[in-house]
Amino acid sequence: MGNEMAIHIQEVELRRERFQLGPLSLEVPKGCVTAIVGPNGSGKSSTFRMLLNLIKPDKGELSVLGHSIANQKDTGWKNKIGYVPELFGSHEDKLRASDKTDFVRKWYPNWDVNLYREILRMFEVDDSIKLGKMSKGTRRKYEFALVLAHRPELLLLDEPSSGFDPLAWRSMMSFLHNYMNDGERTILMASHIVDEVKRLADYIVFMVQGRILGMYEKDELLSSWHMFYVSGSELAGKDAKSMPGNCVMEDAGCGNVRIITRQAMETERWCERENIEIMGRQALNLEDILAVLIEQDRQHIRA
Amino acid sequence: MWLPIQMNEQSAEPLYYQIEVQLRALIVSGQLAEGTLLPSIRELAQSLKCSVITVRRVYQDLETEGLLRTRQGTGTYVAAVEQDDRDRYRLVAVVEAFETAITAGQRVKCSREELDQIFHELLEKHFKDQA
Repeated sequence: MGNEMAIHIQEVELRRERFQLGPLSLEVPKGCVTAIVGPNGSGKSSTFRMLLNLIKPDKGELSVLGHSIANQKDTGWKNKIGYVPELFGSHEDKLRASDKTDFVRKWYPNWDVNLYREILRMFEVDDSIKLGKMSKGTRRKYEFALVLAHRPELLLLDEPSSGFDPLAWRSMMSFLHNYMNDGERTILMASHIVDEVKRLADYIVFMVQGRILGMYEKDELLSSWHMFYVSGSELAGKDAKSMPGNCVMEDAGCGNVRIITRQAMETERWCERENIEIMGRQALNLEDILAVLIEQDRQHIRA
Repeated sequence: MWLPIQMNEQSAEPLYYQIEVQLRALIVSGQLAEGTLLPSIRELAQSLKCSVITVRRVYQDLETEGLLRTRQGTGTYVAAVEQDDRDRYRLVAVVEAFETAITAGQRVKCSREELDQIFHELLEKHFKDQA
């Protein structure tokens, strides 16, 4: 868990008729879980596909575990990666899961059949049935077992637990925690599920409309964004512009004002100094923070 | 290993600080004896539902203070605490608890005299058996 990076993305651009991704720059630290959070269509899955060299960027450089992706001769790094996509193609529907396993394992010298069996058992998945007959969640559990069985150094997870029931979700979380325990492995995941990000992530990357709004250390982010309620009459006459934390202020009814701050401690101290009583408070959750960031980003573009 | 550390997500105090204060108290008070092996960074992060970066920062800070030591490859241990450190830290948590109580009083606009009275009444109540 030093300062080594597992993934470098440098000034990458992907241009399509209806969508432009980037310019994108991102560094994913080794030994940590980094979660990309953003609305649908913000470019999360495209980023994963570029990292796997499934689509090529129009501009920029990507490297994974110290290997440049553009270098076609050097493909050994793919052995060290595990990728679970969000959706699976229907071309495999007729295939029995165990047949897919037999095909895939050949490509991985350090394939561990015991680990594969153990994960299937944990999720109670039977690999003798056809992939097309599996439910969405079961299919995903199977793909997990398949990908984790070669003990990848880097896991790319696109919406890891979509379709999971709560119990499967729990086993999944604890499995991934154990997987990370040796401190050398890295996870990059995209997720909509706030609980999942809260439980797993060390870093959070906000991505909107093909751009990265920022990368934050999770605990610092969640403990510094707060909502305070104060009385409007106490706030009146004070120099509210000097309040730290780049605040949003809005009327909360009954003469009270709602303040959203990204520097909770500093705002609290400021209120203390100005003799403004904080009547209520609440830590913001991830969606709230993302919504404020998107709104500020829009205003910034308009300005 | 489970550590009795409670987090308050609604507080504006950074998580690393909340953990640091409580872990320091556990060590200095002797509840964690010298030589105790602490959980790995990832384990503690998982049980406290915070990130490894936060826990790493706590371990590093406490190591700098001399309360923990890390042995390469084996883990993080509780170091020996000097008696005068113990005395110095002993009251830190108590002072903090009093401060929280006073803030709670101020929130409902208690006067200084009222707080003083409450404090003495409670002292009487808790120490009356020992009088």
